[in-house]
Amino acid sequence: MRSLSGRLLASVSLLLIVFFGLTIAVLDLLFRDLSERSIGELLDAQLIALLAVSETDDHRNPQPAGPLAEARLRQPGSGLYAVIRAQDGTLIWRSPSLLGRETSLGRTFTGSERRIERQRLDDGSEVMTLSAPIDWEVEPGVSRPYVFSVATSVAPYEAQLHRFRQQMFGWFLGLLLLLLGSLALLLRWALQPVRRIEREIREVEGGSRTALTDVQPTELRGLAANMNTLLASERRRVEHYRNTLGNLAHSLKTPLAVIRSTLSSGGAPVHSNVIDQQVGRMDAIVQHQLRRAAAAGGAVVGHAGVDVAPLLNELRAAMSKVYAHKDLMIEVAAPDEARFAGDRGDLFELGGNLLDNACKWCRTRVRIGARREFDAFGRVRLRLSIEDDGSGVAPGDRERIFERGMRADEQVDGQGLGLAMVREIVALYGGELTIGDSALGGAQIEVVLPGR
Amino acid sequence: MRILIVEDEAALRESLASQLKAADFTVDTAADGEEGLYAAKEYPIDLAIIDLGLPKLSGIELISQLRGAGRSIPILILTARDRWQEKVEGLQSGADDYLVKPFHFQELLARMQALLRRAGGWSQSVLQCGDISVDTRSQIVTVGDRVVELTSFEYRILHFLMMRAGEVISKAELTERLYEQDFERDSNVIEVFIGRLRRKLDPHGNRQPIETLRGRGYRLALARAEAVPRARADG
Repeated sequence: MRSLSGRLLASVSLLLIVFFGLTIAVLDLLFRDLSERSIGELLDAQLIALLAVSETDDHRNPQPAGPLAEARLRQPGSGLYAVIRAQDGTLIWRSPSLLGRETSLGRTFTGSERRIERQRLDDGSEVMTLSAPIDWEVEPGVSRPYVFSVATSVAPYEAQLHRFRQQMFGWFLGLLLLLLGSLALLLRWALQPVRRIEREIREVEGGSRTALTDVQPTELRGLAANMNTLLASERRRVEHYRNTLGNLAHSLKTPLAVIRSTLSSGGAPVHSNVIDQQVGRMDAIVQHQLRRAAAAGGAVVGHAGVDVAPLLNELRAAMSKVYAHKDLMIEVAAPDEARFAGDRGDLFELGGNLLDNACKWCRTRVRIGARREFDAFGRVRLRLSIEDDGSGVAPGDRERIFERGMRADEQVDGQGLGLAMVREIVALYGGELTIGDSALGGAQIEVVLPGR
Repeated sequence: MRILIVEDEAALRESLASQLKAADFTVDTAADGEEGLYAAKEYPIDLAIIDLGLPKLSGIELISQLRGAGRSIPILILTARDRWQEKVEGLQSGADDYLVKPFHFQELLARMQALLRRAGGWSQSVLQCGDISVDTRSQIVTVGDRVVELTSFEYRILHFLMMRAGEVISKAELTERLYEQDFERDSNVIEVFIGRLRRKLDPHGNRQPIETLRGRGYRLALARAEAVPRARADG
C-alpha cells in the first residue's frame, strides 16, 4: 500500500465490511425471532379454534363437530395441519389437509406442558408443531388426557427470510459502494493539494517552474515554504559556483599569459623569479576561489544549528598550537545556548579566519565571545565578537582590510585573504560585519549571523 | 636531525628530501600511511612531515596512531585543503603545525626549525651555549666573535648536540640520528668527526665544549644562554 488514498480506502472498507457484517447478523437474528414468534401466535390461535369446535363424539373421544372454519385445514397439502391423539399416541382425528400424508405429527409428544418444536415430515417438508396436553371431559365427571397438535409448514417463512436477506445484502452492498465511492471522491479532493505539490515539484525538476505556489492548505504551507527556501538556496549556490568557476578560469589567464610571454622572450635567469611570482599569484587565486566555493551559505533547512562553544574551543586549541611561539592567552566566552543556523564548515572558516587574524596581530591577548540575541523581527541571531590587544585598525583602513584580496586578479600575498573570506561568508548568510576598538586595546570585529 | 617525510606524491617527496638533505638534515621517506607509521615507530625520528591525503592509512589516522603509541615527536602536516575545519582536525589528531600546499621550501624549513627548537626547549632561531652560537637559519656558527667554518656533517653533529644541550647522547643515537637508515654504520666515523669539531670549536683545548662520558656518549657541556626549557605543546 504505497498511496495514502489506497491505505485510507482499504482500511475504511475493512471497517465498513466488519460494521455491515455485524449489522446484517443482528438484523437476521431479530427477523428470525420475530417470524418464529408470529408462527407461535398463529399456532396458538389455531389450537384455540380447534378446541372451540371440538365436541365428544360417539366413541367418547373429542372430535371437531361440523366443518372446520379454517379453509386451509380442509385443503390437502395446504401447509396447515391439525391432529388429535390419545395419550398413548393413537390417532383419534386428523385434519383433511393431512390426507395421504404421514401422520407422525404430535406422536412423540410427552410431558405436561404445551410445546413448540420443529419437525421434519416424511415428505421432507419442515413444520413447526404446537402440541398441548388436554384433559377432555368425555362424560360428566370423567376426564381423559389427549394431545392436540397443530402444525404449519415453515416453507413460506423460510422464503420470506430468504427474500429479506437478499434485500438486506443488496441494500448494504449498495450502501457500501456508495460510501466507498464518495470516500474515494472526497480523498481525491482532499489530497488534491498534495498532488499539486507533487506536480509542481516535477515542474521545478523539469525547469518550467522556479518555486512552489504558496497558497497551500495550512498543513502543507510549512513544507512548501521549506521547499522554496531549499530551492532558492540551491539556485543561489549554483549561481555562486558558476560565478566562482568563471572568475577562476578568467583570473588564471593573466598569470598564465605572463609566464608564457616570459618564456617566449628568453633570458633564463629572470624566469624562475617571474614564474615563482606568477605561481604564487595563481595559488592565491585558486585558494581564494576554492574557499569561496566551499562556503555552503544560506539558511539551512531542518538543521538543529551548530553549537558554537565547542567549535570555538576546538579553534582555540588549534590556534594555541599554530601560535605556540607567541605565548598567547585566548579567552573563549560562549554560552551553551549559542547556536549558528548554518553550515558547520562555514562557521569553522569564519571563526578560524577571525581568530587567526587576531592571533596574528595581538601582543598576548585574544578574546572571542558569542551571544544569542533577537533582532527587530524577532529572529534568533548569533553575535560573535573577536578582540585583541594589538595596535588596532585605523578608522580609515577599516573598510579596506576586508577588501584585500577580494578581487581575484589582484596581486595578493595570502595575507588578508582570510578577512575577505569572512566578509564573503557573512554576506552569504545575510549577516552584518563591523569593526571597532576593543577594550583590550586592539581591534574588535563583530559579526551577526542567523542563530538558532 | 633526522626527518621523516610521508608523502604519496613522488615528485614532491623527492624534491623535499633532496632540499632537506641539502639543508643538512638526515631524511627518511615513506610513500603511504602504513609505511610512514612503520618508519616513525622504528627509526629515531626528530620530526615528521606528514601529508594528510595518504593512501592505505590517512594522515590523520597515522598521527593518531603515533600519538596513541606514545610518540611525541613534532609533526608538521601538509594539506591541499586549507579550510579551517580540516586544519583543526589535523591539529586535533596530534599534529603541531600545518602547511598548506603549495608552499615555499623556505617556509617549510622555518616551520620545521621552529618545531625542532620548541621540542628542544629553545625559543630563538639562534642557539647559544656559552660562547658558541649556531644560527639555524643561516647555518653560521660562531665562537665568540670568530666565525667557524664547518663541513656539512660537522654542522649536523653540532646542531644536534646544541638542540639537546645538557643531555647525554649515546654514540649509537648520534649515528642513528645523523645517518640514513641504509648507511653503513661505523662508530669510528663519529669519533673522527667529534674530534674535528672539538679542534674547530676549541683550538686551544682549554674549554672542552663537548664532553665524552666513557661508555655513555657525548654531552654539550656549556650552559644554554637562553635557558627556557618548557614542555612541548603536544595535543
